[in-house]
Amino acid sequence: MSQASAKAIFWVGTVLSLALFLALTVDTHGKFDALTHADRLDEKVVAGKRVFESRNCNDCHTILGFGAYYAPDLTRAFTRMGEDAIRHRLERPEEALAASYRKMPQQRLSPMEIDRLVDFLRWVSGIENNDWPPQDSESRWTTSTRRLLAGAALSPGAALISEEACLACHALGDRGERKGPRMEWIGSRRDAAWIADYVADPGKVLPGAAMPPYDKLTASQRNAIGEFIVSLPGGRGRETP
Amino acid sequence: MKYQSQKVAYPYFVVALLLFTLQIVLGLWIAFNYWFTVPQAVVNVFPFSTARAMHTNLLVLWMLLGFMGATFYAVPEETQSELAWPKMAYAQLVLLVATGVAALVGFLFGWTQGRPLLEIPTALDFLVVIGVLMFLANVGVTILRARRFTAVQGSLLGGLVFLALLYLFGMPFYRNLAVDWYYWWWVIHLWVEGAWELVTAALVAFMLIQLTGVERKVIEKWLYVELGLFLFTGIAGTGHHYYWLAAPRYWLWVGGIFSALEPFPVLLMLVDTWRVMKERKTPLEPRLTWVFLYGMAVLHFVGAGVFGFAHTLPQVNYYTHGSQVTVSHGHLAFYGAYALVNLSFFYFAMPHLRNLPGGRYDERGGHFAFWMASLGVVGLSLAFAVAGVLQAYLERMQGQPYIVAQQPIRFWMAIAFCFGLVVLGGVAHIVKHLLTLKPPPAAPA
Repeated sequence: MSQASAKAIFWVGTVLSLALFLALTVDTHGKFDALTHADRLDEKVVAGKRVFESRNCNDCHTILGFGAYYAPDLTRAFTRMGEDAIRHRLERPEEALAASYRKMPQQRLSPMEIDRLVDFLRWVSGIENNDWPPQDSESRWTTSTRRLLAGAALSPGAALISEEACLACHALGDRGERKGPRMEWIGSRRDAAWIADYVADPGKVLPGAAMPPYDKLTASQRNAIGEFIVSLPGGRGRETP
Repeated sequence: MKYQSQKVAYPYFVVALLLFTLQIVLGLWIAFNYWFTVPQAVVNVFPFSTARAMHTNLLVLWMLLGFMGATFYAVPEETQSELAWPKMAYAQLVLLVATGVAALVGFLFGWTQGRPLLEIPTALDFLVVIGVLMFLANVGVTILRARRFTAVQGSLLGGLVFLALLYLFGMPFYRNLAVDWYYWWWVIHLWVEGAWELVTAALVAFMLIQLTGVERKVIEKWLYVELGLFLFTGIAGTGHHYYWLAAPRYWLWVGGIFSALEPFPVLLMLVDTWRVMKERKTPLEPRLTWVFLYGMAVLHFVGAGVFGFAHTLPQVNYYTHGSQVTVSHGHLAFYGAYALVNLSFFYFAMPHLRNLPGGRYDERGGHFAFWMASLGVVGLSLAFAVAGVLQAYLERMQGQPYIVAQQPIRFWMAIAFCFGLVVLGGVAHIVKHLLTLKPPPAAPA
């Protein structure tokens, strides 16, 4: 190879790559607003980002997968845990993580700073980033709940949910109606015995409940429904109850 | 040492070595945090985040000071003239070290910009910019005055100007998190897979010319090819960081394809170093300098090329992004490429700076220190790799909650900690050896 062709490789390689990169950068800028729902990116969210930076949160947590790996990724924290759990950890980390082998520092946040952080995490949770991270992936979650329902032959609980048409009122995965609370939401808040009692006579457990009693079911059938519901992955999906 | 002003490099090297040692001490504390439960009272005062900010900023600071010192050493020889303003080079060192110390102390008190690796507050950023401008002016004017341009200088100065320009993209506050990360990678990725590679390639070419007596034209020709491939793959290869940050889907293609090519320039550098070593016209002396130089070429390829490629394809990266797999790659690549290129240069230049005749020195102890540090880093990178694969499988594929999936990783962090102790031992030996270089023992008659 001659000196001249070596120089040519340098210039052609560099200029081509740079031109492609800059052209795509311009194009990407035109698409950020839609992909990040910039219409919801208001001053409160920006203030939340400033609080997030002021406490150096990103040097323990990842967000969009970037940062340190010492604590859970925050991209979908809002949908995974919900507002209450986030507030609890921010206000009293020493209490929320008392039993954990990994601690979070008490950041002495004012109530307003906590509000802004919640606004920020709510906005971040809606960012469309090719369905990352996988553990919070919407599409993986719906496929797995579909499989769960399709497994009716193997799971008595799933079979009863279909036979009794529970999904005519409740949602499960991407199925069902939204008259009653979402199954996963119930499962993350109640235990199996409570659900079994409730199914027998909702009005007795929670006076004024709209759900009709299913007292024709046997105790073991109601237990199976309870077990099925508490086994669902809780707090998943971007919808709240 | 042919030019008096080359000696400004010495204090740069000394400070760099001390900061390197401190960086490893903080790294050990970080690994300890993964392994043990640090009590809440300690976490409230000195959280993991602060230690990590210090660990990573020390890395950047010592490596940049090393590069700057190396540049001050190389430029007089390349231009065949004295540095324009040797006193300003000392002033620049004082300014940058003072800024670095202020930043580290500031982190302890929560003074931070809060963005990983770019935690230095904006006020201090401006001091960094002033320091870098002093540096570029000094080097630039030296080259312009001498009117002697070489490819080595071009690559060195080009890399350093590129590096300085990119730093500016990390300074503003970005409202949109996705845009923020988009430009964050202009600093981080385009530094380590662009600007720093230019500096490294130039320093390696410089050392090869000086050590082997192989014709400059041959070495510079391959330098052009290396640089062309580094920039061709590296610039568009930035796309491998844009898969999951709310950028359009075409980045999966661009990032995947270009970064699949990224190992080739590193491989070329390895082959080149080997070839020049074979064609050398002088004996392979001093042996230890060659051990460092060749160790750099090999571990640069393994750490940056192989470990980088292993998780760069989108299909793999979907599960490994933001996990300990990144940590594994990061440690081996930074050590293999940039720690070792700095240390090689220190071993190359120190004997001259200490006026040892013929650039020879007593190598005893140095070989052991090299293997201790290098095998330590390989060991801890493998421990991180196991932790990363576990995390990807348990958390990302099986969907276990984060903290449940971290439990089995703690064991591997304990292993990493032990290897970290080995690294600390090795590096402490290297620092001591470099700072007390002696002439070689008289050959037995």
